Amino acid sequence: MHGILEPLQYGFIQRALLASMLVGISCSLLGVYVVLRRISNTGHALTHSALPGIVIAFMFGGNLFLGALVATLWTAIMIGFLSKEDKVYEDTATGMMPTIMLALGVLLISSTKSYRDMSSMLFGNILGVTSGDLVMIAVITVFIVGVLILCHKEFQLFCVDKDYARTIGINVDVLRHVLLVLLSLSVVTGIQATGAILTNALLVVPTAAARLVTNRLVPLTITAVTMTMVCCVAGVYCSYYFGLSSGASIVLCCALCFGVCWAFRTVQNKKSML
Amino acid sequence: MGRFFISYCHHRHSHPKPEAPALWIQDISASYDLENRPALRNVSLSISRGSSVALVGPNGAGKSTLFKVVSNLVKVSSGEIKIFGQPFGACHHRVVYLPQRSSVDWQFPLSVLDLVLTGRYVYLGWLRSLKKKDYKKAWEALSNLSIENLAHRQIAQLSGGQQQRVLIARALVQDADLLLLDEPLNAVDAQTREIVQRVLNHLKTKGKTTLVATHYFNKEENLYDSAVHLKDGEICTAS
Repeated sequence: MHGILEPLQYGFIQRALLASMLVGISCSLLGVYVVLRRISNTGHALTHSALPGIVIAFMFGGNLFLGALVATLWTAIMIGFLSKEDKVYEDTATGMMPTIMLALGVLLISSTKSYRDMSSMLFGNILGVTSGDLVMIAVITVFIVGVLILCHKEFQLFCVDKDYARTIGINVDVLRHVLLVLLSLSVVTGIQATGAILTNALLVVPTAAARLVTNRLVPLTITAVTMTMVCCVAGVYCSYYFGLSSGASIVLCCALCFGVCWAFRTVQNKKSML
Repeated sequence: MGRFFISYCHHRHSHPKPEAPALWIQDISASYDLENRPALRNVSLSISRGSSVALVGPNGAGKSTLFKVVSNLVKVSSGEIKIFGQPFGACHHRVVYLPQRSSVDWQFPLSVLDLVLTGRYVYLGWLRSLKKKDYKKAWEALSNLSIENLAHRQIAQLSGGQQQRVLIARALVQDADLLLLDEPLNAVDAQTREIVQRVLNHLKTKGKTTLVATHYFNKEENLYDSAVHLKDGEICTAS
């Protein structure tokens, strides 16, 4: 117990734990839609698209996370626009945009001739969360949870039967854009925890693990949210006690959960065959 | 519908105009985005209320496209559509389309009851949740299709025939007055076929209008009041 309570005396650990739990909620709630709609590449694309926004914000002395937010939102809107009415396949747009944004980021970095260490943005540093960051993460999380609760039935129908949703008058293109924007917001919160490169793991791995142990939507969502929060907290403790990278610790905790769920499912399948 | 209702589309739900046909189509043409050849060319049609009409034609004749146009899945390039005398969109809650190959993701973690309940969403609109009467309607529809025992089963565990019955149950739950059924009797087992035929007859006795796409009009002739024949996107005969 002492081992659990001892780090809590530090303000930065308290902020990190709170931030990690909020990130866990926003990322895993959207992760359910990402996994069930089979658009995990979109999360990947959005996380990788943050780079030019970060660099531009750095060049003009602005907030790096705001820069990341603008870049991911722009990418989300472009993916939605390009794949509207299937003019370009969604996965094609998803494949194109991050490479273009990444190239733009690299170009901007080379033009600044700066060697500033951006590893905290790329790999996360949840122990460095400031009070301002915490407020931003909290506001974004409340917004995401609010929209998902209010539009739960529409998002569910959009995922399960897009054409039927359209026939009853739902504008599925708008709904898709809203989902992409929410995804961008959650990615930005995730960047603080696990960094631009690893954030997609928070969206995908816990839901993929939960999908192995339950095939009902509500238990799946609860399991994924709980698992992500536990992994985020465990990652913070690992980082504190062993001096490990917080982002990598969180993602590897998620991977461990996935491994346990995979083993559970395998045993269950073998039992049912006997 | 209650005082608090935010419709899914920009039109308010409107009541049918008295004496107007269930479906009135004037000179519509439509094509898919990536194809130059129009899938429908200058199609005009009027379906009176309470009738049961077969839409007959070979593969590629435009039967499914016609249904998609009426249900807002494909946009028309020209022409006009009125449903129960109202402009397109105002009466869409009175139309239900049962596609031949549904876009349902059958692997989605959802129970049969939950999927059938989505048929009530059009009456709820944004922000409102399901009520007791919605559940009552869903159970009635499941019972009509003899699948109430499947209510809590996951949709991923259904056979092809069961999937078809679940989608018909959702169509019934929507309580639409105009049903567009795309090959509902195609590739289903004998039991499902019998149940679907029974439901079609029941809909007719309730005064619902049904437009059914079929390949097998000769075998099913007794089910319909009339037939419309489509070929290469054009109407060739109406009988």
